[in-house]
Amino acid sequence: MASIGTGYDLSSTIFSPDGRVFQIEYATKAVENSGTCMGIRCKDGVLLAVEKTIISKMLVPGSLRRAHIVDKHASLVVCGLISDGRVIVDRAREECENYLDFYGRPIPGAILADRLAHFVHLYTLHWSVRPFGCAILLGVHNGEKQGAQLYMIEPSGVSYRYFACAYGKGKQAARTELEKLSLNDKQASPQISCEQAVKDLAKIVVSVHDDSKDKEYEIEMIWVRDGKPAAMVPRDVVQKVHDEAKREAEADSDMEDE
Amino acid sequence: MTPIQPEWTSTEHSMGTSIMAVAFDGGVVMGADSRTTTGSYIANRVSDKITPMHDKIYCCRSGSAADTQIISDYVRHYLSMHAIELSEEPDVATAAKIFRTFCYYNKGQLMAGIIVAGYDDKKGGQVFTIPLGGALVQQPFAIGGSGSSYIYGFCDSNYKEGMTKEECITFVKNALSLAMARDGSSGGVIRLVIIDKSGSSREFHPGNKLPEFWQG
Amino acid sequence: MNTPESARGGFCFENAIRNSVLSANGYKAPTARKTGTTIAGVVFEGGVVLGADTRATSGATVFEKNCQKIHYIADNIMCCGAGTAADTEHTTQLIASKIWLHALATRRKPRVATALSMLKHMLFRYQGYVSAALVLGGVDFHGPHLYTVYPHGSTDRLPYVSMGSGSLAAMAVFEANYKDGLTLEDAKQLVYEGISGGIFNDLGSGGNVDLCIITADGQELIRGYAKENERKYRRPGGYKFPSGTTPVVPGSEKFKEQSKDFALVTEQDGMDVSA
Repeated sequence: MASIGTGYDLSSTIFSPDGRVFQIEYATKAVENSGTCMGIRCKDGVLLAVEKTIISKMLVPGSLRRAHIVDKHASLVVCGLISDGRVIVDRAREECENYLDFYGRPIPGAILADRLAHFVHLYTLHWSVRPFGCAILLGVHNGEKQGAQLYMIEPSGVSYRYFACAYGKGKQAARTELEKLSLNDKQASPQISCEQAVKDLAKIVVSVHDDSKDKEYEIEMIWVRDGKPAAMVPRDVVQKVHDEAKREAEADSDMEDE
Repeated sequence: MTPIQPEWTSTEHSMGTSIMAVAFDGGVVMGADSRTTTGSYIANRVSDKITPMHDKIYCCRSGSAADTQIISDYVRHYLSMHAIELSEEPDVATAAKIFRTFCYYNKGQLMAGIIVAGYDDKKGGQVFTIPLGGALVQQPFAIGGSGSSYIYGFCDSNYKEGMTKEECITFVKNALSLAMARDGSSGGVIRLVIIDKSGSSREFHPGNKLPEFWQG
Repeated sequence: MNTPESARGGFCFENAIRNSVLSANGYKAPTARKTGTTIAGVVFEGGVVLGADTRATSGATVFEKNCQKIHYIADNIMCCGAGTAADTEHTTQLIASKIWLHALATRRKPRVATALSMLKHMLFRYQGYVSAALVLGGVDFHGPHLYTVYPHGSTDRLPYVSMGSGSLAAMAVFEANYKDGLTLEDAKQLVYEGISGGIFNDLGSGGNVDLCIITADGQELIRGYAKENERKYRRPGGYKFPSGTTPVVPGSEKFKEQSKDFALVTEQDGMDVSA
């Protein structure tokens, strides 16, 4: 960074002379160091996946959650600092509950994403707080008419709606892989099923991961499907799909070796 | 211009009322009398107690005129913002829930008994009542206001499931005529609002042309 | 089993006995005293006519015989006030200034519904403690409008309205004579008759009839449209007396006899009351 040491990076309330807010960029760095997170909008729901590095062999599998159920129809994964993410999860749950209480219907994805983006953005405006060191992938399913939606909220407080997206350590490679999947037809309606997406995402995680360099990892997946409440994809299913993907990848590389 | 004035100049403008709403397959019929009183003086003999909340959602108001007018103004505001945000027509249940929220959280300061009714594509014609304490109850038909106590029996014995729109209109007209005849603080004309998939329409029945079947 | 007193029903003559005892002891029962106002308005083809009496009272005393109860809100909106004079005055002034600022901000002619909404929200917030009962009338983009606003914040929209303690008298006149599609002259006559009804039949109303005519072309306030309580007699000699004058009842012989003993009270001898 060119302007390091000039003092423009000490607070998110100060711009650098070239119009940047360094604190937000540093927060983005924290996200980019995180295990890869991915999401796909499918024809029967929305699926989110996250690659969770195992920091210790003594860790109980499934602890240090990155994927969270927010409401019956909403789920999210945290990319970046887990503890920062939990604050957003709490807020998301609160927003869902308040909306349901006041309007008597589940909060639409667009509104939830918007409100969370507002919340995250607030932390970039005051000297007394720091921006969130995490990005959020949000999967919401609003019934037949509006269907499944996938959003990403960045530490700066912007939110995007995606067909499929990836963030974290392996985002470049993962995005390239995601683009290869034929997700939509010409009318932009989704083509693949959640079941299929589980396999695709597992494959991408395997391909993005560099066994020689990166640590051991665990995959966490969460989905919201037609007419079903948001749920974690069962661990044995994920395990099976992952092993399959790994075997395939090894077979491929063996073939190349020959 | 001093505080020493006859009671009806300072007492709250209130609606001793007869209101009701009945759901039929594909819509609702709502009805109300038109009397507004301050004490023993009729301040308005042709008032409109059926207030639009959205294209296909209306409410019948009873209790304090000031309170119910203000609440319905607020609910109309929230509901229209909600509809814009959603870019589709709001649910009747949503309107009822917003009413409930206002009535419940301010129950100590309000005198409002409200019937919310209307049509939405999801669940068709629906009727909700919000009585004084701020509860929210869905019913196949609802009656309210001071006049309603006189017609519980009539309504229970004459309501039938699966009535047509026309049968509902006759039912509401008859019930309200009975209530208005017995309740001193109800009277005037009968106003009806009929709501279905295609929208809403109004009917007006002058006080001298009400059903008189009950006079025998 | 004993039934509680209150649940027994029927008549209770408890107070009648008490009252007869009180009056036997020389206590006079309070008499009914009415004070107030008559204000009214009528919609006609091209606008509205507002009317008001001009009596302001304080207790049973007429405090002011020619006050103005038709208040300015905007060039195209006026508002009659009944209730506590201070409250109506303040409320209408406040709304007038809010309406003016709103008109500047929106660069549009103010609408009657805007004034109505502001008034009702303010009065509702004060839960009836601001005792202003108003008749709001005006002409805007949508045509002529006439509303009543009650102290608790409820509002009504009608073609003819009346307010204040004389409203019954005025309403009786309106109910008998109102017809749809009145001309300006008919409307003025009707409002005048209504207010007169209040002035002559309501103790709290009196003085003159003020009218205000609002049309799309502007407004005209007619103070003293009818002065039916003008003083009929004035003492030819005027009402100024030299100081020190003592009134004497003509033919009071007793006073004549004693008057020699009284010193003539002049200005110099006046009692010192400055301390």
